[in-house]
Amino acid sequence: MRKKLLSLVLATTMMFSLVACGTEKEPQNNGTTNDSEKENTNNSKDSDTITIWAWDESFNIPAANAAAEVYKKEHADVTVNVVTMAQDDIVAKLNTALSSGTYNGLPDIVLIEDYRIQGYLTAYPDEFADLSSIVSASDFAAYKTGVNQVDGKIYGVPFDSGVAALFYRKDIIEEAGYQEKDMQDLTWEKYIEIGKAVKEKCNVDWLTLDPSDLGQIRMMMQSAGAWYTDADGNVNIKDNEALAAAIKVYKDLMDAGFVKQVSDWNQFVGSFNNGDVASVFTGCWIAPSVKNAEDQSGKWAVASFPRMSNVSNSVNASSIGGAGWYVLKNVGHEKTAVDFLGKTFGSNADLMHQLGDEISLIPTLNAASDYSKKDDYFGGQDVAADLIGWTAKVPTVNYGQNTYAIEDIMTEALQEILNGADIKKTLASYHETIKAAIAQ
Amino acid sequence: MKEKAQSRAWAFIAPSVILILVFVFYPMIQAFVTSFQTGIGANLKFHGIANYQRLLTDGTFKKALWNTFIFLIVQVPIMIILALIISSMLNDKNLKCKGLFRTAIFLPCVTSLVSYSIIFKSLFATDGFINALLMKLNLISSPITWITDPFWAKVLIIIAITWRWTGYNMVFYLAGLQGIDESIYEAADLDGVNAFQKFRYIVLPLLKPIILFTTINSTIGTLQLFDEPMNITNGGPANATITISMYIYNLLFKYQPNFGYAAAVSYVIVVLIVILSMIQLKVGDDKNEK
Repeated sequence: MRKKLLSLVLATTMMFSLVACGTEKEPQNNGTTNDSEKENTNNSKDSDTITIWAWDESFNIPAANAAAEVYKKEHADVTVNVVTMAQDDIVAKLNTALSSGTYNGLPDIVLIEDYRIQGYLTAYPDEFADLSSIVSASDFAAYKTGVNQVDGKIYGVPFDSGVAALFYRKDIIEEAGYQEKDMQDLTWEKYIEIGKAVKEKCNVDWLTLDPSDLGQIRMMMQSAGAWYTDADGNVNIKDNEALAAAIKVYKDLMDAGFVKQVSDWNQFVGSFNNGDVASVFTGCWIAPSVKNAEDQSGKWAVASFPRMSNVSNSVNASSIGGAGWYVLKNVGHEKTAVDFLGKTFGSNADLMHQLGDEISLIPTLNAASDYSKKDDYFGGQDVAADLIGWTAKVPTVNYGQNTYAIEDIMTEALQEILNGADIKKTLASYHETIKAAIAQ
Repeated sequence: MKEKAQSRAWAFIAPSVILILVFVFYPMIQAFVTSFQTGIGANLKFHGIANYQRLLTDGTFKKALWNTFIFLIVQVPIMIILALIISSMLNDKNLKCKGLFRTAIFLPCVTSLVSYSIIFKSLFATDGFINALLMKLNLISSPITWITDPFWAKVLIIIAITWRWTGYNMVFYLAGLQGIDESIYEAADLDGVNAFQKFRYIVLPLLKPIILFTTINSTIGTLQLFDEPMNITNGGPANATITISMYIYNLLFKYQPNFGYAAAVSYVIVVLIVILSMIQLKVGDDKNEK
């Protein structure tokens, strides 16, 4: 009872209750966080200790550790603390700490997802270090530096490529009467045609869709250089040709009778690992998950992302996810942190190659774009070189500050359209709703 | 002498009073002040009642409010009635293995909200255990899309909360039932009263204060519903199970951090809880007087 009363009061004082929620959710992270906080405060006078926050122990963390190793070779006196934390926790902690102005326990370098960074840079304009001295836009894939600039200043070092690709089962499409060459530079119409043949002849579903996740629509939009917001950050839903076309493709996919619906990540990965679906189109970071199924080795291949034939500027390349490194300048080790990024992720092509071997990183650093690696899992295809090639073609869009807020409302619009509502009319009516919802 | 005793009493109360003032009332007031500010992140400015006006036109807020009320209106009565029935059954003198049943039904309450939500999610997946079971029993011909269908998603949340909290309420009723004097039942038996009448005319009236208490408690709990929709359905599909608490979380952490608006939404919960609790107390009182 006491606990209930207490939690009631806490809910009204949202700061408290939400911090509590955050810690409750990822208890295993508390240990590491607290440790790092302690170390950070203990060494706050010592400018030679920097702390990095990142998520994903099989990808970003090994990358940060490898960078730390490289940096330590020349700067033996610098200690680099790498802390693993769920992305949601990083987001929550940054928001609470930065808006209250306490820097105690905050990291010097933090990994932030591309979709979110404009929001941070706008909400906390004086917290991030200007990295123009170590990063120049021409050194990286164009679409990556389109998102981390404000007023011409670059605030982040682009990291992994989220370039989209179509992973498919070679053995199954061959059984359905298609060849590898049929899969190159597809249109969505062709993709659906092949899917129907696969379903008919092999009785295997073609792909998974999660109606609550608009990732696929996002990718299709970006392949035409469009987003929910226009280049100036204004809501762009009503007459957004690319968005309407993407939703149309999504509906066609859903109606084609070859979709396995999933509702979370585990089911998504399980569906292709178990051989329930014959293709997956998403970011290149899915490759390690595809390769989990060792029995399917040699049966997979990778093709470029399909394009929308009725949108003139849609290309066979897009992106989903991907992140960059940012420096919090008021935590106290700005100089060392900037130097660290400059010498590692900002310029070091050897490090990128090493990470390509270790964690299948697809670099966005142009100096590392000569990387290539034949992959036996994908029948000896040089997947890395293909993905790097597509990375260079990804259209640049301004993700704006409100991607996730808009998307939560867009799921409702999508639901209506999937149930038969007219695409144009629905988008027009949601245009105003969304405009109101993200107005401050 | 008397004054001395009083100052001693104050000294004993002081620590808790101070703690409550600092950690409960101060944040409450601060949150109320924040609810009159607008802006993103650290850029807060006073803007009158703009946030409260925005509430009136916010579709997602209305949806969250509506969902919360659906959960409240459907789930709380089901749970209270179920808990009453189970507790009267367990209170039967002739029942064997009472302790076992009591523990079994109370056990869900000690599980963590997050972990049970995740287990429910996998049990109720489209190709999960529950669908397989129902299909084997020939109750359904094709799997129910528990998580991706707006209607079934709501049903799933209700099933989950009912499973989690029925035992909690049952314990209160059991305690209440044990406080009812045996002689009342004996007198009723002498008058030839049947089991249902006993329940209706003895148990219900004597348990009324406890029923009232659990109803208010459950109402408050449901208004703050967060863990289950967050972990089972993530508010989806298409905001079909989003609750007010989840919306507050989204406003702060998923979207651009809008502290002012989030504070305004949380004050709506406060107002709702106060109003609903007052109504329930009033209803309870009236019946007492009759």
